[in-house]
Amino acid sequence: MLRTLALILAGGDSPALSVLTAERTEAAVPFAGKFRIIDFPLSNCVNSGIYNVGVLTQYKPRSLHAHLGVGRPWDLDRAQGGLRVLHPSPTPDGGGWQRGTADAVRYNLDLIEEQPTDAVLLLAGDHIYKMDYTPLLQHHAERAADMTVAVRSVSPHDTHRFGIVSVAGDGRVDRFEEKPRRASSNLASMGIYVFRKQFLIDILAGTEQDFGRHLLPRIVANARTYAFNFQGYWADVGTVQAYYEANLALLVETPALDLYDPEWVIHTTSADLPGVEIGEHARVENCLLSDGCRVYGNVTHSVLSPGVYVSPGASVRDSIILGDAWIGPDAVVDHCIIDEGVRVGAGAVVGEGDISVPNQATPERLNTGLTLVGTHAQLPEGLSVGRNVAIRPRTPESAFPKSRNVPSGASV
Amino acid sequence: MRIVAMIMAGGEGTRLSVLSEKRAKPSVPFAGKYRIIDFTLSNCVNSGIFDVGVLTQYRPHSLNDHIGIGKPWDLDRARGGVRLLQPYQGRNDQSWYRGTSDAIYQNLTYIQERRADLVLILSGDHIYKMDYTTIIETHRRNHADLTVGVMEVPLEETDRFGIMTTDEQDRIIEFTEKPRNRDKGNLASMGIYVFNTDVLVRRLAEGSADKPRIDFGKNVIPAMVAEDRVYAHRFTGYWVDVGTIQSYWETSMQLLDPTHEFDLFDPTWRIRTRSEERPPAKIGPQARVLRSILCNGCTIRGTVEHSVLSPGVYVSPGAIVRDSVVMNDTWIGPGAVLDRVIVDKQVVIGAGAHLGVGEDLTVPNKSQPDKLNTGISVIGKSAHIPPGTSIGRNVVINADRDAEDFPGRDVPSGETI
Repeated sequence: MLRTLALILAGGDSPALSVLTAERTEAAVPFAGKFRIIDFPLSNCVNSGIYNVGVLTQYKPRSLHAHLGVGRPWDLDRAQGGLRVLHPSPTPDGGGWQRGTADAVRYNLDLIEEQPTDAVLLLAGDHIYKMDYTPLLQHHAERAADMTVAVRSVSPHDTHRFGIVSVAGDGRVDRFEEKPRRASSNLASMGIYVFRKQFLIDILAGTEQDFGRHLLPRIVANARTYAFNFQGYWADVGTVQAYYEANLALLVETPALDLYDPEWVIHTTSADLPGVEIGEHARVENCLLSDGCRVYGNVTHSVLSPGVYVSPGASVRDSIILGDAWIGPDAVVDHCIIDEGVRVGAGAVVGEGDISVPNQATPERLNTGLTLVGTHAQLPEGLSVGRNVAIRPRTPESAFPKSRNVPSGASV
Repeated sequence: MRIVAMIMAGGEGTRLSVLSEKRAKPSVPFAGKYRIIDFTLSNCVNSGIFDVGVLTQYRPHSLNDHIGIGKPWDLDRARGGVRLLQPYQGRNDQSWYRGTSDAIYQNLTYIQERRADLVLILSGDHIYKMDYTTIIETHRRNHADLTVGVMEVPLEETDRFGIMTTDEQDRIIEFTEKPRNRDKGNLASMGIYVFNTDVLVRRLAEGSADKPRIDFGKNVIPAMVAEDRVYAHRFTGYWVDVGTIQSYWETSMQLLDPTHEFDLFDPTWRIRTRSEERPPAKIGPQARVLRSILCNGCTIRGTVEHSVLSPGVYVSPGAIVRDSVVMNDTWIGPGAVLDRVIVDKQVVIGAGAHLGVGEDLTVPNKSQPDKLNTGISVIGKSAHIPPGTSIGRNVVINADRDAEDFPGRDVPSGETI
């Protein structure tokens, strides 16, 4: 197999995820209870035998750093290779912030150059999938390609959300269009690219900022570029609704994403917490519960991260509750995403009323009836919160209206 | 002051029946995701003691795997850290550990290399939370040569313990192993000792055929009570020796009592363990779970009531698990019923099997009547219970038993297979 350096792009600010990415980069957003999104590409790397991994950070990296540590859960704490967190640093001419994916890689060309590798595998840090990269690398090597892009077919309605690739008969890519309105193909780039190392160094000699918008159309026209078809589960959880659906899809009897597969373990940093405690009057149905949860109320069709506390009489329905959130006695949480450390006061009702009123500040992002509560917000007792509401991180009790009523579509 | 902790983890634990047949007692799973030794190990590091020797002998593989290089306890260190101390062969001598103090004696060089001032001797098979700095403080204040951790027990139970008789200053004036008459007071030894290293070395080195120094309780402490400064340190919290099937089961069930004083969730005294890499517990739409502990990797599609489940247990639709302890990766088939059963790891319970059948809980196990007589049945590791089998009370199914080992579909109370 090719000697490979993997670079994971984890620096984006992903505004479409609303309050979930207000204090952390998307790669560090929790998923499926105890995981973080970056666990998927990272675990794919080590499960594919790639132990030389760089994670490129820029936007709010603190939570990601804490999660990655020295790379221990992925066996990436190594003397040779291992995990490197690559953060921006100022240049003598006053620059240094990365203005796009190509720019981010360009800042690390010196590192890439000195690595004893044949290929550079460029990955997105915000996709959920299980993939063995070995066949992709083999495909790349067999064709002596300059670049190979992993693709999958998407619905023609969705082509405008992706980079779309057209493939000639021999598997060579002859066209790349970034998020086209009208597409000539329905093969979407998965944001997974293999580059011949020297080729990558050469094409980054210029000043183009972004692979998708600036570089790929040119690469496809001038270099040996191949597509690699991937058939398995793959989800871009870059919107609130997609994130919500991908989480709750895990609750069906045989989910498309099998997390229980011993042959392809998704590694993560496990919190040191005891098992799940379920109380005498609790009702739990159709949910994922992580270690350290304590459930004394009702939880239905929901995903709970480690350390969540559901008080007696409380009800959690169709929701995602992230780590260490506290749901007070008799509180109701319905169609919500509750971020880490949130406190929902006793008797509060979060998520009720008309789902057809979109969020007024960001109608394009929050319009499917989900209410989002940012990390460590303190919801007072007896508060009533409507649908499509966004509550900013660390909102104190005093910031809520005296009427204790937050109507649908509002932001706090 | 330099302290080294030595944890006794080599005992066979015969009273735990099949649970400790394939592993040393300290590595028996407990409270879902833990092993018994996690409590002592976590007490050490939470007390700031990062120099820990673990003495192993009987069936150490499971324990060695669990402790590894000590990472979960932050004991993977350049200086100090955890060391597994197994019996070894020398040029002129070789011997298994013949008792607790003999095990320490054979590892005196380890203690001396650490240049420890104090040696804290612990037992790896007790469930408790204790800040060892308190007993060390007591030891220093009394200028003691040896301090023994003690706790008050009901007078009628003193014949199960080593009983310390003390004067007003808590200096131990008499030590009686399992006294028959109830006249020695009610301070029981917890198997926790703080020794001055020099005294320990001197006392262990003086052993001879007529003055054996094999066991702390039997030989060393009685000799020291007569001649050295030996004090008691009183402990008042929760402490339990889960040395029998009955106490293991009771202690597990107590964890489910909301008023129970032993809090696993205490953020100031985390019990650490090697967590398995598993996704969250999945609760199916038809599931019912009440008053239980589940762990990551469990899948529940049936009913779980008042039970403790370790990681990776699968409960099929229609199955009922009640008043039971089920260890890692056991598969419980559709419609199976478990009542008052302790099931070891990787057991397969066939569809419709009933474990723990019968109103009469008191028919004792025929081969171990003293250990199994309260209605608890025990299933050994990797056993396969054929579908439709009915198993009574106080039954023992040994490890790795398969369909052909079962004489019929009915295993009456008190049997062993």
